[in-house]
Amino acid sequence: MSFLGEVRLKDKFGPFVAFQAGLGFVPNLVLAQTLLPRLIEAQAMLESAVRLREGAIPRVQKERILLIVEAERQDTYCVALDSKILSSLGLLDVHIDGLLADYQNAGLSGSELACLEFCLKLSRDAPSVCSEDIAALRACGIGDESIFEAVLVTALAVYRCTLSVGLCPEPDFAPRKIPSMRVDQRHGPAPRSLLSGSAEAARRNGPYVPAPYLSPKTFSPFDIVQKSHGFIPNFFRAQSLRPDLLEAELEAVGRILLPEEALTRVQKESILLAVSAANLNSYCVAMHCNLLRGLGMPSEEGDQIAVDYHEANLSVADKALLDFAVKLGTRGREFSRRDVVKLQALGFTEEQILECVVVTALNNFANTLQMGLGIEPDFAPPPVFEENKVHLADAVATPIGREGGVYRGDAIHDLDAELVAQAQDGKLEAFEELVRRHTQLIYRTLMAMLGKPPDAQDALQDTLLNAFKHIGGFQGRSKFSTWLVSIARNTALQRLRARKDVESLDEPEREEEGDFRPRQVRSWADNPEQLHSKSEIQQLVEAGILGLPAKYRVVVVLRDIEQLSTDEVARQLGLSVPAVKTRLLRGRLMLREWLSPHFTASTKGAVK
Amino acid sequence: MITCEEFFAEFADYMENQVSPEIRKELNLHLSQCRACQVLYDTSLKTVKIVTESGSFELPHSVSDPIIDCVMAKLRKDRS
Repeated sequence: MSFLGEVRLKDKFGPFVAFQAGLGFVPNLVLAQTLLPRLIEAQAMLESAVRLREGAIPRVQKERILLIVEAERQDTYCVALDSKILSSLGLLDVHIDGLLADYQNAGLSGSELACLEFCLKLSRDAPSVCSEDIAALRACGIGDESIFEAVLVTALAVYRCTLSVGLCPEPDFAPRKIPSMRVDQRHGPAPRSLLSGSAEAARRNGPYVPAPYLSPKTFSPFDIVQKSHGFIPNFFRAQSLRPDLLEAELEAVGRILLPEEALTRVQKESILLAVSAANLNSYCVAMHCNLLRGLGMPSEEGDQIAVDYHEANLSVADKALLDFAVKLGTRGREFSRRDVVKLQALGFTEEQILECVVVTALNNFANTLQMGLGIEPDFAPPPVFEENKVHLADAVATPIGREGGVYRGDAIHDLDAELVAQAQDGKLEAFEELVRRHTQLIYRTLMAMLGKPPDAQDALQDTLLNAFKHIGGFQGRSKFSTWLVSIARNTALQRLRARKDVESLDEPEREEEGDFRPRQVRSWADNPEQLHSKSEIQQLVEAGILGLPAKYRVVVVLRDIEQLSTDEVARQLGLSVPAVKTRLLRGRLMLREWLSPHFTASTKGAVK
Repeated sequence: MITCEEFFAEFADYMENQVSPEIRKELNLHLSQCRACQVLYDTSLKTVKIVTESGSFELPHSVSDPIIDCVMAKLRKDRS
């Protein structure tokens, strides 16, 4: 009955032993993943940390959360399994039936009921969770650690339900009746907030629970994240209240996402991006767009997956893979064996399909966690995504487990759009106006790359001619200025290659690449710019910038002179935001060393 | 209190005002007690201000206009 094949693993397989010890048996949901044992290891880590480990919420209460969330999602497999587990913890069958029939009148304490209502809201309508919900929980006497655990347990329930829909394991126990009342709730309008009348005032103001500072020096998982991502995403920082849970989660994420034996990293990140977009999770959309860029995917392609992957430059098979994941992740009730057969017909192996199911489950886990903890963004989501008003704060909620949103790649709002349309119709005056608007941006990009004014001026001319030649192919998926910079960049690269003087703009940062720690420790004058004339300062700055390695030079020019945002710079140069931040810091510190002798408090005299 | 090395690890985000309140508190505490990091922070902010206000690599109209005119003339000629 299960959708995919199974293989027999040894009884001594570590996670099996852990499930035996914790639950008394190995559930079929776990056995359905034996084709890739590392995925079972990941689930065992999550379950053992979130569900079994002693924490602020008693074990029985965690089990009640799992049961009710799974019941509301009509997951008969999980409900049967978790009823049995509750029963093994000493709860009478009559109480379990009472909970399933009407949890509000099942004799739970006021605070447990409030917590359960919050978990249901998070599972049913995650984008609507806001800081008022957290305040309401605190008013019931529920502490931050308990809130944190409640969010994690809900995320685990969502993970398990996604797995059970995608894998369809044989039931471990006879199914329990799930009252139809829950179905009505699922279809009914989701409450926007636990507090009546506060929908309009709903605010996020995350992160909702305090996140004490954890140093990569003392918490080694952060050191690993820092090295692999180039920074520590807020997603992980926001969970520092419980380093033990965070460590297990990072291990599990690594087991699922890093190996490439079935799906590739790019395929997995594309799944995470497409399903996060369908779940309206702008945090995760921005994160996965950046990670895809770091894996070499052009930013426009990543943006297109977020907006409408059907229009992205992907193979038919990869689009089908995303269809499968988005349906499983957002419209589980429509999902069936036919979806699995479709992927098989396109040549996907059972291991790949299994991994797609688990990655989708992980995505829903992460989306739920992010919205439940109100984790603040690391980067802005793609402009197109925002323009379609699917930012979590303003979205018409389309929660996990319900009908996914529809996104179409309408041209993003761009002040140049009208002139671009005219220029595409061949109107030269419109093109000239566009060119005059953006000459400085193009020139500065070229100067930063080529370093010599005559070269940059020649390249400016070539860039403008190339832009006109190709303007018909501009589809409005990025801002016109971004597109122009990409033309300028290519033009400059051709020149650098021709003069065989290519300083790599694309090579990754290396740890050992010089110590960027400051050597100059003398303080500067209070108003250093008054020490020299404007033209002297301009000469100094230009000389300093031209002395930087090209890859730092371009970032500094676009960020600090052209004053684009970090995200825009990343987009224009096709780099990840963390890479831009690293290059920017290094460039700024090198400039600081260069400028220091001229601006220290005792500096007098002219610039040489 | 965090070390200079830990301060430096957060420095890029601190300068861009992109750290969480908890981390900001730790960094501020370090900054209030470490002269070397104070100098680093202050001079880095001044560097960015000087670079931003320098007007570097501006192409004067006297140079850009002839380039644009030349391009437009070529495009018009190609069309006719």
